[in-house]
Amino acid sequence: MKSNNGYYGQYGGSYIPEILYTSQQQILSAFEEAKNDPDFLQELHKQWKQFSGRPTPLTHCENLSRHLGGAQIYLKREDLNHSGAHKMNNVIGQGLLVKRMGKTRVIAETGAGQHGIATALVAARLGLECTIYMGKKDIARQYPNVFWMKQLGATVVSVNTGSQTLKDALDEALRDWSSSHETSHYLIGTACGCAPFPEMVSYFQSVIGKEVREQSQAQFDALPDKLYACVGGGSNAIGLFDNFIPDDKVEMIGVEAAGKGTSMGEHSIRLSNGLGSKGIAQGFSSIFLQDESGQLQDTHSIAAGLDYVGVSPIIAHLAETNRIRMTYATDDEVLQACSLLLTKEGIIPALESSHALAAAFRESKQLSNKTNIVINLSGRGDKDIFNVAKAFQDEEFVPFIQEYAEGFYQDSSLNLHKD
Amino acid sequence: MSQLEQFILDKQKSLSTISNPVLAMTHVVYGYPSVSKSIEWMEDLLTAGVELLEVQFPFSDPVADGPTIVNACHHALTSKITIEDCLTHLARLSSAFPNSKILFMSYLNPIFKFGIERFVQQASQANISGIIIPDLAIENAQEYQAACLNNKVEPIWLVTPNTPSGRLKMLTQQATGFIYCVSRTGVTGGEQQSSFSKLQNYLQEIQSYTNTPLAVGFGIKSKDQIDAISEHICVAIIGSALLQKYDELGPGQALIYVKKLFPHLA
Ligand SMILES: Cc1ncc(COP(=O)(O)O)c(C=O)c1O
Repeated sequence: MKSNNGYYGQYGGSYIPEILYTSQQQILSAFEEAKNDPDFLQELHKQWKQFSGRPTPLTHCENLSRHLGGAQIYLKREDLNHSGAHKMNNVIGQGLLVKRMGKTRVIAETGAGQHGIATALVAARLGLECTIYMGKKDIARQYPNVFWMKQLGATVVSVNTGSQTLKDALDEALRDWSSSHETSHYLIGTACGCAPFPEMVSYFQSVIGKEVREQSQAQFDALPDKLYACVGGGSNAIGLFDNFIPDDKVEMIGVEAAGKGTSMGEHSIRLSNGLGSKGIAQGFSSIFLQDESGQLQDTHSIAAGLDYVGVSPIIAHLAETNRIRMTYATDDEVLQACSLLLTKEGIIPALESSHALAAAFRESKQLSNKTNIVINLSGRGDKDIFNVAKAFQDEEFVPFIQEYAEGFYQDSSLNLHKD
Repeated sequence: MSQLEQFILDKQKSLSTISNPVLAMTHVVYGYPSVSKSIEWMEDLLTAGVELLEVQFPFSDPVADGPTIVNACHHALTSKITIEDCLTHLARLSSAFPNSKILFMSYLNPIFKFGIERFVQQASQANISGIIIPDLAIENAQEYQAACLNNKVEPIWLVTPNTPSGRLKMLTQQATGFIYCVSRTGVTGGEQQSSFSKLQNYLQEIQSYTNTPLAVGFGIKSKDQIDAISEHICVAIIGSALLQKYDELGPGQALIYVKKLFPHLA
């Protein structure tokens, strides 16, 4: 969505330390030039196709639609992107921009690790140095992704300050950028941050909605009636919604993480029930979870990628103007939705995406079977194996890990680094 | 000329026996390690005669600060602290120490939440001379600038070594009180220092645009650093280095450190 000088209604803007002014201006002009350059766009589409596997399919879930007895449910399969999530769309775009600007290093924040992985993959491919900031708490719950980032050659920095999650990783990434801006690009992973990041990330992610428009015409000969997406920072949501903003008949539903309850610290609901309020932090103005003194608060979600204190200024604006309806799903509902998709359709969803599933499943029962709804399956669930195993209390998982740990250093025939 | 600028020039004049005297601006995090201890520390510094006291009101996400100040802010926020209380304390200090001036520093969000206009008004009533908001660019600051003008508080603007010339000129020409010259790229604290010749060129460029006094901060920790640029600056800002001394050696030794950096206080 195009901004008005960096703003979306009253949200957005650029609130960064003076030291970053020059780099911010450089990105602003590089992005403006790139998106009007046919060569850049051709390369972008080529990489999306050849590296990430776009277009991703739109999958009709017939079993599930029948089981729930309501709307026809379609999934936009962003989980089938290389790296396993929509994050790749944006990283490919910004990666090409980094090359264009002649910078040699990228910095990124990550929550679930999906953006970190995507950044590390693209950095490896483009020959860029890569540093990923990740909250200590998130590293503990998403270690498999950390492992791969390291194998890809990225430096992963554990962020031990504050709430030790995405917000603090973002702070650290900004601090790194303050001292390294001459050679480094801050490759933000969601539609947040100072202008032009929200606009740029939503531009690169909007390929999702463009494909959905074509695919729904081809597959059910109409526009979707409803679109569902989970909202962490907001990039997969705006990616799906962007193309449909002018189509008033298409309802758009954003789903936030209700976590364990509605007390401060138990959830990441910023845009419903008056829980969030306007603030200016981390480079932009939006709705944040904060106390009456303007201190940002701790958040919680079973999905690390939704465990964030702010939200895209674009989403905040579209919610405020009622173009998007916001709702939420609790940790428990999310696990049930995840389980239902596994057993009915043979698809393993990310816990982030399962929020969109949970809300859509809840609402689809009341809809007629002529209604077509599209849910953004923003990522695949392989990364969540430990958390889902724990949530489902899989009895064999702990003995498996224990045995594996015991044998970890013993069988050296597979050890690459033996002397 | 603003009161703050006049104050700086008068102080410098009173030190005319020293060649190129540099005034002390010492930084304290309000509420760290506790509200009362931070006030005591401010009193120690003011008693020692520091000309300018910069008080940072903690914010949960201080993106322009390095680890030393970040930790202090997060520690301070484990207790309930408010801007109201902070201003009440500072009002008391400013009347007890009329020979020094107090600057208030915080990030935009706590001030925005409090209400920008209301904040500037109350800061003025508390006798705060200037306000520093590192994440508020001048382009976004109309309301703030107007409030400052109405209430006779100086908005202190930061300039950096990579601020483009045109912008540097614009900022320095709008600046009142003094100009906060960030010495190098990066966040506060740390070992990294700007090369002397680079810093000198940068300060000379700023001086070519304005007569407003210059204060230099970020990474300043030794007397040699200050001496090297003393002909260009009126004020040296000591932040993380002082906090580190305070943490490691306690207020007594930290005060001795301040007096070493600024011998005119001894
Ligand atoms: C699979 C997946 N979906 C959604 C998100 C949330 O981010 P956003 O709201 O920017 O799409 C993440 C973030 O890590 C993710 O990994």
